[in-house]
Amino acid sequence: MLKIEHLTKVYDNGVVALQDVSFEVPTGQFLVIIGLSGSGKSTLLRCINRLINPTDGRIEWNGIDITNATDEELRLIRRRIGMIFQHFNLVRRSPVITNVLAGRLGYTNPMWSLVNYFSHADRQMALEKLARVGIREKAYNRADELSGGQQQRVGIARALMQEPELMLADEPVASLDPATSHSVMKYLESLNRDDGITILCSLHFLSLARAYADRIIALKDGRIEFDGLPEKIDDQRFRDIYGEDAVRVEIS
Amino acid sequence: MSGKTNNKDNAQPARSALRTVLIVLAVVVGVVVYAYGWNTTDISLDEIQDQTRKESVRRALRELLSPDIFDRDRDEASFYAQFQVGCPEAGATIEQPEQGDDAYVVFSPSCADQDEIVTVEGYNFPDNAIAMLRLPREGGNNIPFKVMLGSSEDAKASNENIFDVDNSGYFKVHVKVPRHRDLEDGEIYEVEIPTISPTGLPRFSNTTDTVIEKMIETIFLALMATTLAIPVAVALSFFSARNLMRQMRMPLGPVLVGFVLLPVGGAVGYLLLGPLGELGIDWGEDVVPGIIGAIVAIGAYTLITRLAARLELDGLANRARGVVLNFLLLAVIVFTLGVLGGIGIWISDRLEKGLLQDLGEFVGTVGTLIDLMIAVLAAVGGAFWLSSLGSNLAAAPLRYVQEPLSNVLGGVLGFLSGAILLYVTALIGTQAVLLGLLSAVVAAVLGGQCAGLVYERLFMMENGKRQPRRDDTGTEQAVRSAVFVIGAVLAFLLAAYVLDLLRAIVDERPPSKREWDLILGVNVRIYLAQAALLGGVFGGLAGALSGTSVTFPLGMAVYNTSRTILNSLRAIEPLIMGIVFVIWVGVGPFAGVLALTLHSIAALGKLYSEQVENIDAGPIEAVQATGANRLQMIVYGVVPQIVPPYIAFTMYRWDINVRMSTIIGFVGGGGIGFLLQQQINLLRYDQAGVAVLAIAIVVSVLDYASAAIRERIV
Repeated sequence: MLKIEHLTKVYDNGVVALQDVSFEVPTGQFLVIIGLSGSGKSTLLRCINRLINPTDGRIEWNGIDITNATDEELRLIRRRIGMIFQHFNLVRRSPVITNVLAGRLGYTNPMWSLVNYFSHADRQMALEKLARVGIREKAYNRADELSGGQQQRVGIARALMQEPELMLADEPVASLDPATSHSVMKYLESLNRDDGITILCSLHFLSLARAYADRIIALKDGRIEFDGLPEKIDDQRFRDIYGEDAVRVEIS
Repeated sequence: MSGKTNNKDNAQPARSALRTVLIVLAVVVGVVVYAYGWNTTDISLDEIQDQTRKESVRRALRELLSPDIFDRDRDEASFYAQFQVGCPEAGATIEQPEQGDDAYVVFSPSCADQDEIVTVEGYNFPDNAIAMLRLPREGGNNIPFKVMLGSSEDAKASNENIFDVDNSGYFKVHVKVPRHRDLEDGEIYEVEIPTISPTGLPRFSNTTDTVIEKMIETIFLALMATTLAIPVAVALSFFSARNLMRQMRMPLGPVLVGFVLLPVGGAVGYLLLGPLGELGIDWGEDVVPGIIGAIVAIGAYTLITRLAARLELDGLANRARGVVLNFLLLAVIVFTLGVLGGIGIWISDRLEKGLLQDLGEFVGTVGTLIDLMIAVLAAVGGAFWLSSLGSNLAAAPLRYVQEPLSNVLGGVLGFLSGAILLYVTALIGTQAVLLGLLSAVVAAVLGGQCAGLVYERLFMMENGKRQPRRDDTGTEQAVRSAVFVIGAVLAFLLAAYVLDLLRAIVDERPPSKREWDLILGVNVRIYLAQAALLGGVFGGLAGALSGTSVTFPLGMAVYNTSRTILNSLRAIEPLIMGIVFVIWVGVGPFAGVLALTLHSIAALGKLYSEQVENIDAGPIEAVQATGANRLQMIVYGVVPQIVPPYIAFTMYRWDINVRMSTIIGFVGGGGIGFLLQQQINLLRYDQAGVAVLAIAIVVSVLDYASAAIRERIV
């Protein structure tokens, strides 16, 4: 159970990114967060693993207070929360396997990892995770030799190395074409269904959200505009979220 | 409304007139300033046109551009011929020489008066020789024949006596018969024709050999300086990268705890780990016990970590495990380093002769360096160990501390931190007058902080809570800055007064002669005690006003310190550093290495840090999100991105250092610059030309190579 209470984030330049956002996510849910660019989706996700420190409010996960964790505690929390990103955030010059192994850093002996030493078990695990996302044979290629969809799958494999209980996906398909988008979303769906990983995923396209979400939260100007089942979003709601001039774009 | 428009219309011409006047005024002022500059720099056309100076520079340039690169062996030989000065009426009375295979000379005519011009043809002389004609006289005052330019009719006398023999041993010159009071008309004189002829192939001159030797020295000097600078520059570059440091924020409480524990940890490290390092060196010098000891130590550590990892601990016990393991690791590192140093010293003793002598000396120096530094390294390690331990332990309890307890704690910790800070700066300040200002500057920063906090307390609080920054307006920011500046200035003046800095500056005497005194039964140096008390008051005030839970931008503090160090280091010309190091280690390449190292640290640190600031933030974010610690984040998120530009900039720096070392050489820093300076001082411009040429070649090759490498890997 992830509890978010009165979460507020004001950036140093005065921009209010989140304002009094509260909701709960039961374990095992596939939650999709939608909203326009700048509505606070990314900030919300980053507050959960404290890549961004919230200004006010409280985040509790399985009884642990994330907002007040010390650096050391935060490390232990973070390693159970996987995250994938819009721009994949791979080290482009490093081999795929190194990028995947980086997901294991929270578990390894810091001294050994500094000299790029990982145990045999960890390496085996990395290859397994790559096999799971279907790019086992690319393990020793440089990350930037892969296509966008493949890079995002490396990102998923990296997150899986953490053996996460919660997965944060920050617009994971925004840089991908429609067909690849679906393949990446399918992997997320499989993680949710087969591994029981709770997923918080921000998306641009409502059609994608509807296809995969158990529940949708819509953000507008840092506030929750809608929270409910995907089918509840009708045309009126759609305009509330995206503004009066918005036109639905389908992604098939 | 209409009045306003009218006003504007009226204002327009007046304004443009004013503008014209201002522009004219600005131009006049500009010209006057420029003229002043012209005169100050002694720009003078007379000097440029001065005939003797023109002649000097022509000669210097000619020599410079006729470098003494090649040389060859030469033979000297003299030949003789007869010539009659002043023709008798009956005609010349000397016989024509025999036209055989030996060298002979034909004068035509074979007699002439003084100052008359004769044509001389020589046959069978040494090929390619240079030669002259002269009348040998007793006492060595030979009388030369001047060589004429052009044929006999309209010939002009040249200043040359020397002429060339062609490659078949033939020459033909027009010479003027010398006029001399000792010459008697009608007398037959023996003319000497000394020649210098080349034998063998051209080879590099001695100058070239020396230049090449010194050039190699220069290249290695630059290489040493560059490589020695790299580790420090890399470390500083991370601290000077805004994007990495900005996110390093911590509550003030743990930061202060960590800071206060630095000296304590230093002492612990020095006392506990220092002897361990010495032991390592002793054992290392006996090799076998050292190697066994190191293996046992590393093995034991690995075993203990393995075993400890099996224990299921939580909370305090878990922390205690981490603390113990970290200390053990530190101990193992210090010991092993000591052993390595000792082994280095042992190796250098064994490799005194032969090919590996250089290697032995190198290893020995490194070993000795470790020997000298081991206690300091142990102290630094201990300081960081205890400091991070303390701040980590304090972090958990401190976050639940509320006002006013947090203010009290902040005050106490702030007092201690401020006292330590100013004690250390004052200690530095006792070395020289200008360094004494450091205390005042630090006090000013603390005082400014205090003033800002007081202002905040008085005017910016609402319901006991600091207002969020979004309500800050521009004016409020400006007022805050002004308050900070006023507080800083006051604190600076107070510190200057308390520490008597004005007197120190005027008397040019650092305050190190101050008396010692008994305070509470302890012998204390008054000056340092005063500084510490001052720092304590400011620090305590700032700490009490902000409380332990306020966020402290630790990263930015480190960033600013590191930037300041880099910038001030970069502001000092390497030439001046060179002079200082020549005083320290004497004339020679070592002084140059040290000077360039220091300068390279600053320059590379800056270049590197800019590269860190330019990296893609994505991977850092991703690695952080996996629960990696800060060091892992740097190794996996940052390092892979910066390796290529770091290599490129290091190459570039090497190239620059070669160029700079020529300048450093002028103040005694060794290398080709030193040679060049000697050559110039001896007015041997032909030799200097070789050095200049060598520098040009090496620099352009390096420049090209470093550019090519940069292009390939960036």
